[in-house]
Amino acid sequence: MIVSINWLKDYIDIDMPLDELAEKLTVAGLECVLKEVGKSIPEGVVVGKVLERKAHPNADTLSVCKVDVGSEEALNIVCGAPNVDAGQFVPVATVGTQLTPDFKIKNAKLRGEHSEGMICAEDELGLGDDHNGIIVLEGEHKVGTPYDEYFASSKILDIDITANRPDAMSHWGVAREIAAITGKVFKKAPLNLVESGPDINEIAKVEITAPEGCPRYTARVIQGLKIGPSPEWMVDRLEALGLRSINNVVDASNYVLMETGHPLHAFDLDNLKNRTINVRFAQKNEKFETLDHKERKLSKDVLLICDGQSPVALAGIMGGTESEVSDSTTNVLIESAYFTPAVIRKGSKQQQLYTDASKRFERGTDPNETLIYTQNRLASLILELAGGTLAKGMIDIYPSLIKPQTAQLRIDHVKRVTGIEISKEECKTTLEKLEFEIIKDEDNILTVKIPTFRPDVEREIDLIEEVLRVNNLDKIPSMNRMKISVAEEYDKFHPFLTDIRNFFVGYGMHEAVNNSLVNELNANSGIWGYTPLKIMNPLSVEMNMLRTDMIQSLLGSLRSNALKKRNNIRLFELANVIEKSDHTDTHAQEHYNLGVLCSAPVWGLNWTDKDKAADIFYMKGILEHLLSSYDLNYKLKENTDRNEFEILYDIVVKKAVIGKIGQYKMEYFEKLQLQYPVAVMELQIGKLFSWYNSKKQYVPVPQFPSIFRDMSLVMDKEAKSTAIFNEIKQNGGKYLVDLVLYDVYIDNEKLGKDKKALSLRLEFRSDEKTLKDEVIDDVMNKLFERLKNQYGAQLR
Amino acid sequence: MTKDTILEVQKQFKEALAKAKDHFSLEEVKNTFLGRKGKVAGLFSLMGEISPEARKDVGQMLNKLKIDLQDLLDVKSSEFSSGPGKKEWVDYTLPGYSMPKGSRHPLTQAVDDMLSIFQRLGFDIAYGPEVETDWFNFESLNFPPNHPARDMQDTFYTEGGGILRTHTSPVQTRYMFNHEPPVRIVAPGRVFRNEAISARSYCLFHQIEGLYIDTDITFADLKGTIELFCRMYYGKDVKIKFRTSYFPFTEPSAEVDVSCFLCGGKGCRVCKHTGWLEIMGCGMVDPNVMKAVNYDPEKYTGYAFGLGVERMVMMRLGINDIRILFENDIEFLQQF
Repeated sequence: MIVSINWLKDYIDIDMPLDELAEKLTVAGLECVLKEVGKSIPEGVVVGKVLERKAHPNADTLSVCKVDVGSEEALNIVCGAPNVDAGQFVPVATVGTQLTPDFKIKNAKLRGEHSEGMICAEDELGLGDDHNGIIVLEGEHKVGTPYDEYFASSKILDIDITANRPDAMSHWGVAREIAAITGKVFKKAPLNLVESGPDINEIAKVEITAPEGCPRYTARVIQGLKIGPSPEWMVDRLEALGLRSINNVVDASNYVLMETGHPLHAFDLDNLKNRTINVRFAQKNEKFETLDHKERKLSKDVLLICDGQSPVALAGIMGGTESEVSDSTTNVLIESAYFTPAVIRKGSKQQQLYTDASKRFERGTDPNETLIYTQNRLASLILELAGGTLAKGMIDIYPSLIKPQTAQLRIDHVKRVTGIEISKEECKTTLEKLEFEIIKDEDNILTVKIPTFRPDVEREIDLIEEVLRVNNLDKIPSMNRMKISVAEEYDKFHPFLTDIRNFFVGYGMHEAVNNSLVNELNANSGIWGYTPLKIMNPLSVEMNMLRTDMIQSLLGSLRSNALKKRNNIRLFELANVIEKSDHTDTHAQEHYNLGVLCSAPVWGLNWTDKDKAADIFYMKGILEHLLSSYDLNYKLKENTDRNEFEILYDIVVKKAVIGKIGQYKMEYFEKLQLQYPVAVMELQIGKLFSWYNSKKQYVPVPQFPSIFRDMSLVMDKEAKSTAIFNEIKQNGGKYLVDLVLYDVYIDNEKLGKDKKALSLRLEFRSDEKTLKDEVIDDVMNKLFERLKNQYGAQLR
Repeated sequence: MTKDTILEVQKQFKEALAKAKDHFSLEEVKNTFLGRKGKVAGLFSLMGEISPEARKDVGQMLNKLKIDLQDLLDVKSSEFSSGPGKKEWVDYTLPGYSMPKGSRHPLTQAVDDMLSIFQRLGFDIAYGPEVETDWFNFESLNFPPNHPARDMQDTFYTEGGGILRTHTSPVQTRYMFNHEPPVRIVAPGRVFRNEAISARSYCLFHQIEGLYIDTDITFADLKGTIELFCRMYYGKDVKIKFRTSYFPFTEPSAEVDVSCFLCGGKGCRVCKHTGWLEIMGCGMVDPNVMKAVNYDPEKYTGYAFGLGVERMVMMRLGINDIRILFENDIEFLQQF
């Protein structure tokens, strides 16, 4: 919303510096920026008088002039314009003027004649396209005056109006705010209504069939007017706000709209069948062509202004082509009405048609004083600009009066909410400046009548906001001491997540944040097999579902990185994944998950070690580290459901599958030419957290030394090592405390075909005594016998 | 003392040396054998028992033993990385082993920074679902159906009647619904807006919501808390401005601007030459919100605030395209 400072001055005196005013309005809730609009003329261009004109001795089309620009000596200027002549007042660009960024006026010699400046045409000053001749000013002028002063640019306020303040979308509204801030008096423009025509009821008729959509409709009629151009002052004012001038009647209604904020409509009375207006709802599929030349199919939600036969406007939104005011119009009917905000909003939404008028009506206009004033103001302006005679009286259909509401303001409650003392007197003054009426003032309670142009104010708390925002928000002191209510519970989930984040960062991983909105393929590929939840109004088909796992998102990040030839991709992400569910009222079940993806070496490229891939075994190691640090036992169960995996396991904790860990087949990423295999993991971190018991107990440290025994077993290559480990753990006796695999060796010649050797280190320890070698020898022998019998293992 | 005795000591020494794993155990070996009361010294002390004719040979053998043992000790010592003794030449200018450097996402880092400030100020952390009901996201927050304020937030609707929460404010009413006052929480989380994706807006972003309800909370408490937060987050010289605004769930409502941290308020590219940066919305909890969760607005007052994490991160890091925060380009992520 743009308001012009000059125009505002019609309604209020402004003597505060404008930037200070803009600041105060901003703090009070009208966020605004002070700007300058209009033409500006470069410095150095001044008004000059042509004293004499002579033909150029060497060029037929040029002339040599003496021009007085107020300096001691008149300037010698060569000019090519045919219309230059002695006695004219003209704009002169003097030497040194930067006319355009790459054109600076210099002393010059043109065909042998000295030239000390340039007499300017319209286009040279950026004022238009005309280059047929120089600009000649009418009348007498003072030479040497900067030409810029003839184009005093206008100052405007560009205001960002919040949705609750339809009243502020006008010069009136802003003037009222200024009145409250500065204490000056807000005054309206006087009306000059001469009703010299016939009784309006003889000329026009209005009916409201749908009062629930249109509680009030007023009409006036002007006959015999003449459509023509608007006067310059009106064109200038409208242009300063960015509005194009059309003709005197249309401009007048725009002008009044910008003045009071109440939208009006002018119909060509002769194109209204039966000279009748009827306000009703549309029938289903009824058709209507709006001013933008679109034929619209309507629903029953759309309110229509009709004439005796058919629709002439979408009420409060846009007029129609047939009843539009045109150059041949002589008789007009002016509509000033109040439409129910929700009705306009529905219709505008249904038609996907949002206009300046609909925006105002759906936020709420004033059904009372402003509506009537605006009607009369437009009539009076049209009479002034386009002539004609105003019919006697006004049609006003207003079946049930919309009364101003009242609210009470308890002065002590002002402090209860704002924390500062605002006196009753100040509350009264502020409210009255904002045109609230104090109807009762007793003890510490003000009873306030709320003007109907303020639909945002209904309750005491709204009145408190009014007195706080005007000049008081800044007065709230900074606090140097804080009182707080203490909650004894505190959140442990966020610190838990921070630990997990730091854990993965420690492994050299980067934290990712991916979009929750994904395409159908992605959502249906989720590792959990959840049914995805659809977005009913997606931005695009690429984002029409909510993601059902983290892994697919991380694969997306892998792809985009690989396409940029990025290597060493280690990513993790913590976020919700969403499953469609019938057990919640939103049909969504959210799971807070962790996703991890690696396609990288364990370390970077190094001078000391081989380039080892961070594969499934790396991922298993990380899983072991993570879960054991939360004292959670888990099992891996092979999952063969997914074809794209080389290997995939379900991670099982407390008999529930709470995670997946696996490595993709290399060919699944053929096109990306990855250097390293892709290992992934996903964990339901939310569930893990619910199991995690932070009340850890101390375990006494070992008092007696451990005995370590190494064992190298040769067995079939395809024997599963997990089985061997379980066997050892189960039969290693009560002193076995740890088991580490430290080598896997395959050598067809030394070990035999299809054999492998596993080297294991076993740690034995007692809490009660130092163990004797013989005891452990015995355990080891029995263990080996068992492995030999069960798995055909041989000692190496 | 015979030649065998000397060889036996030499053998013992070699065994002990082989077991030595570090300088510490090496020092022990040295003391045991070459110390003042060590085994070699012990042998020398027996020289008196040696016949004069053999004394010269035994003396030479003992001296050789002493030198040999010292040499062996030095060689062993040089196997360990530092300490006394003769060393293998090592190029210590070789770089350290290259470790992969992980990183936190700037968004979650910022969330942590801000939450830790609010936790210092006594706020607990609360959470709510991303798929919300219309009631919690809008109605309970004083957005009646068909209210124009709903247009301020373009909404995604999900199958089955849910919506993707457009702000973290529904956590306010969810929390109040399940707790009696006093209530003092901050709630971080993802929110969604159905807006075309561009350099300036993304369909999802993160917010942190704050809420404090008690019997005597005023706008002055709100202002004080926000000012304190801003000084703790941006530094103590930051200037803070409150200006009236509109949110359906607070009354009075305000936007908070801070002086630009880059130019200090003089005007620069980051603050679009205004000197100010808009960082959050706040206000006193609207009585209608209290009524929606059966709190008595005559008994309780409270404040709420909400800030956009992406905005603050972008301003701080000088990022001018929001999309880079969601692209997960390794080259971007590893900067943080």
